[in-house]
Amino acid sequence: MSTIFTIAAAEWRLWMRSRSALAALLAVVLIIAATSVLTAVRFTEEREERTHQQEVAEETFLSQPARHPHRMVHYGHYVFRTPPPLAIIDPGVDTVTGQSIFLEGHRQNTAMFADTRASANVGGFQSLSPAAVYQILIPLLLIALGHGVFVREREARTLAPLLAQGVSGVTLYVGKALALAGLSAALLTPLLIMSLIGVTSGEAIGVSLAVVVAYGAFMLVWSALIVLVSAVVGTRGVVLGTLVFIWLAWSLVTPRLAVASASAAAPSPGKLETDYQLLADLRELGDGHNAGDPAFDALRANLLAEYDVDSVEELPINFRGAVAQASEADLTKVMNEYAERRMALEVRQSRHVNGFGWLSPVLAVSAASRHLAGVDLETHHRFLREAEAVRFDFIEGLNKSHTQELSYTDDINRNQSPEASRRARISPENWTVLDAFRFQPATSNQRFGAAAAPISMLAVWLTSLVVAGVFATGRLKP
Amino acid sequence: MSGFGRELWFLWRDRAAKVWLLIGFAAAGLAVVFGLMEIAAQRETIERLKTADEIERAVTTEAHREDWGSAAYYTFHLSYDAPEAFAFAALGQRDASPWKHRIRMLALEGQIHETDAANPDFALIGRFDFAFVAAMIAPLILIMLLHDLRSGERASGRYNLLSATSADARMLWLSRAAWRVGALAFVLLVPLWIAGFVSGAGAPKLLGASLALLAHLLFWWAVIACVNTRTWTSTVNLTTLIGLWLAFAVVAPAAIKAGVDAAIEVPEGGDIMLTQREAVNDAWDLPQEATMKPFVERHPDMAPYAAIEGTFEWKWYYAFQQVGDQIAEPLSIAYREGRARRDALASRLTWLSPPAKLERALQRLASTDATAALQYEDEVRAFHAELRAYFYPPMFRGEPVTDAMLAERPNFE
Repeated sequence: MSTIFTIAAAEWRLWMRSRSALAALLAVVLIIAATSVLTAVRFTEEREERTHQQEVAEETFLSQPARHPHRMVHYGHYVFRTPPPLAIIDPGVDTVTGQSIFLEGHRQNTAMFADTRASANVGGFQSLSPAAVYQILIPLLLIALGHGVFVREREARTLAPLLAQGVSGVTLYVGKALALAGLSAALLTPLLIMSLIGVTSGEAIGVSLAVVVAYGAFMLVWSALIVLVSAVVGTRGVVLGTLVFIWLAWSLVTPRLAVASASAAAPSPGKLETDYQLLADLRELGDGHNAGDPAFDALRANLLAEYDVDSVEELPINFRGAVAQASEADLTKVMNEYAERRMALEVRQSRHVNGFGWLSPVLAVSAASRHLAGVDLETHHRFLREAEAVRFDFIEGLNKSHTQELSYTDDINRNQSPEASRRARISPENWTVLDAFRFQPATSNQRFGAAAAPISMLAVWLTSLVVAGVFATGRLKP
Repeated sequence: MSGFGRELWFLWRDRAAKVWLLIGFAAAGLAVVFGLMEIAAQRETIERLKTADEIERAVTTEAHREDWGSAAYYTFHLSYDAPEAFAFAALGQRDASPWKHRIRMLALEGQIHETDAANPDFALIGRFDFAFVAAMIAPLILIMLLHDLRSGERASGRYNLLSATSADARMLWLSRAAWRVGALAFVLLVPLWIAGFVSGAGAPKLLGASLALLAHLLFWWAVIACVNTRTWTSTVNLTTLIGLWLAFAVVAPAAIKAGVDAAIEVPEGGDIMLTQREAVNDAWDLPQEATMKPFVERHPDMAPYAAIEGTFEWKWYYAFQQVGDQIAEPLSIAYREGRARRDALASRLTWLSPPAKLERALQRLASTDATAALQYEDEVRAFHAELRAYFYPPMFRGEPVTDAMLAERPNFE
């Protein structure tokens, strides 16, 4: 055991003495600090801003004057997706998806105004978050510092004496790996601080620490790989070339190939295109604005029979409201089918992309990170579903008021005179059908469930690399 | 054998160099193939949309011809931004900015910001297109090819001998490096030109892209040459160069982006929608003259027909849709100008990051940059204005809907 520590300590001492190693370390720490502070400030503001906007939107809706209920259906409402506390580490899809949706009758609108659209275009990776730094930059630092762990012994011809002294190859491997693991642990400190900040703003401690653990596992994967390559490959140049090649393949190439593969394997037609099919379906349901549409003949017959009257004028309820209510319900059913199909397809695409985590631990850790932080595709879908629930609820409530609070005669005569138009209004108390909406992050269990697959990928990567390392160094020759 | 030819022979014999060049070739090849596939898919989408739109419009037009108000209310009009032939090389903003819309005569501000975006995970990760390969991967390959030119010889103890025996030592290193830069440019450009001819991109664009790529490679060659003149070991060279790659290709763009976004305020997009929606909804409760007056200011030719009788008339309805846009106009213009100014500033600042500059240059050539997105937005606005110019006169004059008039309805082209 003490031999292992001695070996590890020797590497640490070497790094401490090397000015270029310290300079690289300092540069990376500065980048981590800068991105952490910037991301934390930005997303703390975003959280407050969107929560505030949500409150304002609700107050505005509730403070509308007396109106015809259907006017409120079109007046509509806004919901905002508040980012979770851990967005300060990984903003995930928050910046590329719209953060608010306008809710109105008869339509499911898309989320609008994604940040990326208005923000400056600089190509490549665009903005850096702490997550991106840990996924992309830190491995390069580990390579720069760690690629020599075995090679330098070989170059200095100290490997043979070490082995001759009875230090086994595996002990050397564990010692060198420990050196890199220690470095990784030190580099995780800023991430740990960020996740604790997340805890103070209300995040569960379990998932917060799990994010750190996932990145820790990812850095161990790199450490294990670096030591392995350094041990089995002959010269320093080739070690470095191999590691840079793997870094390039894992970080830059595989993720984007995964996207190309997913869009070829599961092409998505896009909302606009499926909307045409939807429109054809909807025409069969009838236009809810037009109570004379033949599509509502059955509804009229049923209501007349139910209340035992001969004409819609004699109904105790407002027939136009009943039509609006029935048609909105039918319409919503069809729209939801289409929305669910679209989301299922996107989930399939994303699973396809995440499957490439078996080829690149960078994809595995980024998926784990998004799932754990609660900024994944599924969270966005949940936002869309919850928004739809809010939409349907208040539209349904307004249509109910339309049916019960407003007489049919007043309703059909509303355009006769300004006076008639005033009679066809209902009081603002009816607007309280709108429920308060606060978008909440997924529960810890849901997030752990979603992250299980990519985390097990990391575990498999780590285990197999360690096994390969132990195996290779077990038969280490100078 | 001439010195120049000998260096080519050396390059051919260098296994690591061959592997890296092969990687470059494969990356560029894959990138253009993916790009061509994506562009083909986008074109097919547009074709399908056009067919669907024609059918849909024929049905709605037939169903709602009782008056011009209903005809305008129920018919949507497709607008789209077809990718250019060269777009395969740089897919650019088309994942984030909309390139297809369904527009109708209602307030435009409520419609133009709808984004039919692809899977957000795709936008997050990014596309593997030629611009990405040229801007991000090519410099790394060049670094791998050149970083140990001198230090490698130094390590094997030949450096001084080579320098002393060759007639012109500088020429020796120059030609050795030149062969490698040239070879890399060659393996990257061959797939680009082949794909360019396949898609019919035209020589000027291909030439422009090639020059931009060459300039980018020359920049990196200069950077590498500076580092190589130091008497460092290959390892120190390589780590330094990768550090510089990080600085130029990753950190600088991120800093530029953060700086530009902070320096230039753009109004919240949601505020445009909110303003427009409040204006349109308030109009129902305002006296009708309050709507018709600002409307007539924009459309003086409609003044003789602007009197509204009764509590509801279509022309009043469309007038307050238009006035809703007019009220949101300052915000909308600020949003547009803000994005244009951000883009202009980013264009200047990316001189500090040649990879970002290259990507922007390729996106410009491909018309997939912010300028192109704004231009498409302007086209949609112009089309919407055309629709208004078409519908207003017969609607305001109360003319019946006729086949002859319907045949003149504008199409987006």
